Amino acid sequence: MLSRLAARSIRLAHTSSSASQAAASATPATTNEERNEVDFPRTKRPIHPAPVRMGFIPETWFELLYSKTGVTGPYVLGTGLITYLVSKEIYVIEHEFYSGVIMAMMAAYGIKKFGPTVAATLDDQLAKEKEEMLSGRNNTIKALTEGIAASELSAEQAKGQSLLFQAKRDNIGLQLEAAYRQRLQSVYAEVKKRLDYQLEKSNVEKRFEQRHMVDWIVQNVRQSITPAQEAASLKQCITDLKALAARA
Amino acid sequence: MMTNLFSIFDPASPNSLSANWCSSLLFVLLMPGAQWVASTRYSGLFKQLSDYLFSEFRPIVKKASFVLLISVSLLLLIMFNNVAGLLPYIFTATAHLSFSLCFGLAAWSGLMLYGWSFNTQALLVHLIPQGTPAALMPFMVVIESISNIIRPGTLAVRLSANMIAGHLLLSLLSSSFSFSPLMAVPILAIAELALISLECAVAFIQSYVFSVLLTLYMAEFSD
Repeated sequence: MLSRLAARSIRLAHTSSSASQAAASATPATTNEERNEVDFPRTKRPIHPAPVRMGFIPETWFELLYSKTGVTGPYVLGTGLITYLVSKEIYVIEHEFYSGVIMAMMAAYGIKKFGPTVAATLDDQLAKEKEEMLSGRNNTIKALTEGIAASELSAEQAKGQSLLFQAKRDNIGLQLEAAYRQRLQSVYAEVKKRLDYQLEKSNVEKRFEQRHMVDWIVQNVRQSITPAQEAASLKQCITDLKALAARA
Repeated sequence: MMTNLFSIFDPASPNSLSANWCSSLLFVLLMPGAQWVASTRYSGLFKQLSDYLFSEFRPIVKKASFVLLISVSLLLLIMFNNVAGLLPYIFTATAHLSFSLCFGLAAWSGLMLYGWSFNTQALLVHLIPQGTPAALMPFMVVIESISNIIRPGTLAVRLSANMIAGHLLLSLLSSSFSFSPLMAVPILAIAELALISLECAVAFIQSYVFSVLLTLYMAEFSD
């Protein structure tokens, strides 16, 4: 009977927790409705401690009294309080006070001398820890950025590929053009060769005909010259020569 | 003004309302909090200290590493109490036998009961150190058992006596400030400075000695 009671109470607890979960999930998803961020802002982690004066008195106490008592207010308050306590022997100056004074001097010296180095060492340690904690996130970001850069590079290279193909196409075109022009040139040369041949042939024929005609004419003329004509011309030539000689 | 020299050790609180003894709870205020996941400078320092202490104590216990928790936490408690007692107006709880005997007697009697019930052979063997000549063995047994029995006493008294002696000297020297001429104050201040430094060292060392001895006894019983 007790076990049944225990089981029932557990079941009730489960249903109540699931009901509360359902109720919580039924509320709107926006955080504004869950929490008033203006009047109750979320705390930020403070990196540096609050400023202090004289090593241990918070600055906020001075700011608190500033509006009423000005700059010297808190100092006057402190001095007056100490004077009152000591003069009325509410605070008795005895052996603990002297050892406290000496300890305060030791502490001040120690903090001033070793404080910065210790703080720097601890800060290095904390920075390392923080880097370790954020390393997963930062490594993922770095990897993804590098991936983006790599894909952009490969896209650029792909564009370059098309340029390469275009250049190859142009090259081929130039080669084709060159081959075409060469063939054109050879065609021209062949045609010219044949035409030159024809021209030479007609020239040669004309020259033969001319020579043959000249030879035939000369031969005929030589045949037509009688001996009487020859003698007459020779005589004429001699008289011309004599005339020329007389004149010269 | 002191009524007598030992009034600095007087708890000065009624038995029903132990106000002065609450100084032993000061270490709770000195423990670093962990509100944020990222550690602060103080918690980093504390972590370094506790890591160092654990590494120091680990070679002493080789098998039963769980006792390290007792050793280091005891060391930190006694150290905080000793150092806090040096500061003015803070009650030194460790200067009282009733405080140190609580640790020493409780730990020792527990170890004795456990050891003699379950490891009787080993403990009997431990009574004679290695390399003793046969003629000396009976005396060695007597001497070792006596030293075993007075262990809680030595632990407690060592701690309290050191604290009492230091505080007594400190209060004597400090109270002489009121009665000495002004010219003597620098010399007295230098002497007091030296004494306070010594007391700080003694505070650390006594806590270390207490916890190391207790760890050694625990290691001895677990072997």
